[in-house]
Amino acid sequence: MSRTQILQRLRSLAGTWEEPEIALPEAPTGTDRVAQLAARWEAAGGIFLDAERHGLENVLAETLERTGAREIFWEHPDIFSRFQIPHRLRDPLAFENRLVFSLHPQREVRFPLVLHAKRWTRAHASAVPLSACLATHGVAETGTLLHEVRSGQGRLLSILPEAHLFFLSRGDLVDNAQQLFSTWTPCGSLATLVTGPSRTADIEKTLVVGVHGPRQCLVILTE
Amino acid sequence: MNWKRSPKTLRDQSRTALQDSQLQHNLQHTLSRTLHSRQLAVAEVQNWEELRHYARTVKLHTLSHLARYLEQLEAAVQQRGGQVIWAESARQATDFILDLAHRRDFRSVVKGKSMLGEEIGLNAALERWLEVVETDLGEYIVQLAGQQPSHLVAPALHLSRGQIGELFERKLDVSVGEDVERITAAARQVLRRKFLSAHLGITGVNFGVAETGTLVVVENEGNIRLSLSAPRVHVAIMGIEKVIPRLADLPVFLKLLIRSATGQRMTSYVNLVQGGRGPGERDGPSEFFLVLVDNGRSRILADAHLRETLACIRCGACQNICPVFQSIGGHAYGSTYQGPIGSILTPQLVGLQGAPEHPFASSLCGACRDICPVGIRIPDLLLELRHRIQREKGARAARLPVERWAFQIWSWLMSSRQRYELFSRWSRRLARWTAGDRLGRLSRVIPPLSRWNRERRLPELAPKSFRELHRASGEGGS
Repeated sequence: MSRTQILQRLRSLAGTWEEPEIALPEAPTGTDRVAQLAARWEAAGGIFLDAERHGLENVLAETLERTGAREIFWEHPDIFSRFQIPHRLRDPLAFENRLVFSLHPQREVRFPLVLHAKRWTRAHASAVPLSACLATHGVAETGTLLHEVRSGQGRLLSILPEAHLFFLSRGDLVDNAQQLFSTWTPCGSLATLVTGPSRTADIEKTLVVGVHGPRQCLVILTE
Repeated sequence: MNWKRSPKTLRDQSRTALQDSQLQHNLQHTLSRTLHSRQLAVAEVQNWEELRHYARTVKLHTLSHLARYLEQLEAAVQQRGGQVIWAESARQATDFILDLAHRRDFRSVVKGKSMLGEEIGLNAALERWLEVVETDLGEYIVQLAGQQPSHLVAPALHLSRGQIGELFERKLDVSVGEDVERITAAARQVLRRKFLSAHLGITGVNFGVAETGTLVVVENEGNIRLSLSAPRVHVAIMGIEKVIPRLADLPVFLKLLIRSATGQRMTSYVNLVQGGRGPGERDGPSEFFLVLVDNGRSRILADAHLRETLACIRCGACQNICPVFQSIGGHAYGSTYQGPIGSILTPQLVGLQGAPEHPFASSLCGACRDICPVGIRIPDLLLELRHRIQREKGARAARLPVERWAFQIWSWLMSSRQRYELFSRWSRRLARWTAGDRLGRLSRVIPPLSRWNRERRLPELAPKSFRELHRASGEGGS
């Protein structure tokens, strides 16, 4: 009823159809994508770690140091293979998806690190110290990551924990959001552009980090 | 229409606001910081004017083909399993949500900040049956205080940390003092429980992308992400003017909105909602509804002079820059939408008689038009509305003989150079007298001039006119 009436009114107002003759404005390109993403992600309060430069074990270790976490909950098991993490891990299935591994004893890192890929509950997610997932794209211009809910994944594990970690491949970096949206098509039920940790300035325009979502937000850049 | 007109007039409320030194401090402090951040963020974008022009063109194009784009949006949302509800009025929108809650036996709602929600009086309608919790920190503060938001983007702008700390201690029985971190942590703790137990999540929509059915919701806190992730059902409410054609347009609008609103390059989260939980996904709402709300918008659209009001993307920049808003804050307007955009939108939503003072609450300085990311010609629309209000007042105003005589005398003076020069010479002299101490003070007390002079000082006029100076310098004739 309302639908018909609203649409009828709107149709009666419509002029003749004309595509707007205007070109999409250009967005900045041609910068060092990695450097810019790192700088702008950190300007937004995030932590940037380069696994290519420092090695995956080291940046994982630093992640644990900086978040104070001893466990990482993964949203989707494919991260293990994609980022070649499992060569130091035991078979996930052997421990009911509870994975334990130790790094070289000479490193100044207190391990073992426990990785959970098992199903977590909502109440559980609030108590998770550190969760991790894949960023499907990184936007250099604003220091932004694209997080997409995919099959086997959910929405809450990236938002409820105290700290959240993204894995990003260098090849998934783009200069600006326009590049991203010229090719991206939505597939899951929710995608989120994430730029740093949860924040507010609702009281006297004073910045506070970690309102409802993670207080710390990290990205590990890999090959 | 939820808009409750305060028994006090805008003029009365402005006077009260001007005398409230705490409010004056809060406004000055927060607005100047917001404007400063915006300035830095905008200066970084080399083609800002081009972006504004693009956004304005796309918005006006979309508004003139709204039926087509809304149908496209509806089809795309439905294709992904979402349900689309059309509401002509505020009542229809709130009734649908209430009815849904009844049918599902829902008891609790978490809400993301939505100006449309304020406009349609959603909280008042739901609170009779359900527990409704605002989850944006500013909105939560305002809800605890039993007030309305006083700004499009920063709802608790009018309150200081001291006032908010006191409110939290009184309402939540926590000890937070004036510490912003502790206030925020207390809110996080309370609201976390609400998110996880709520049955229904309600959010607004910043942009609805017709091409893909993507509903874009911009935020910093994560409360919207939680509101549309944790509850069983997600309802998004969207004004019909919020549709944009393509995903490719989105980056332009995001850049304009975010930099204008908060001075950030990007907010912490921009949610691109495609519906409820998809196949194989672990969590998320099992049902998704999009409520498209007209509530007077198609009527505004029918008015060729005023329709660009609906191009607004609710960034709040016009409020931040407006000298009137800077002086009186949002509550003095007594309406959902305040400041320059509120002054043109409110009379159109509630009728000229419902907000007869709004179009006059402006000095017409034009700062709002200059700062508007979609270039809405707010001063022109204010003048148009003033004109209509005067016309509606009708013959009574036109018949005032004083006004007619004044204009007759004015046109008589202006139509001869000698008369004009004589008049300007005498008025300069008169102005010097009245600016002087004794007469100046008298003119602030004795009506009718006192009403004007009480709050204003005439600028000192030069003793000689440009023409006289030019003649005296002897550099050529006239």
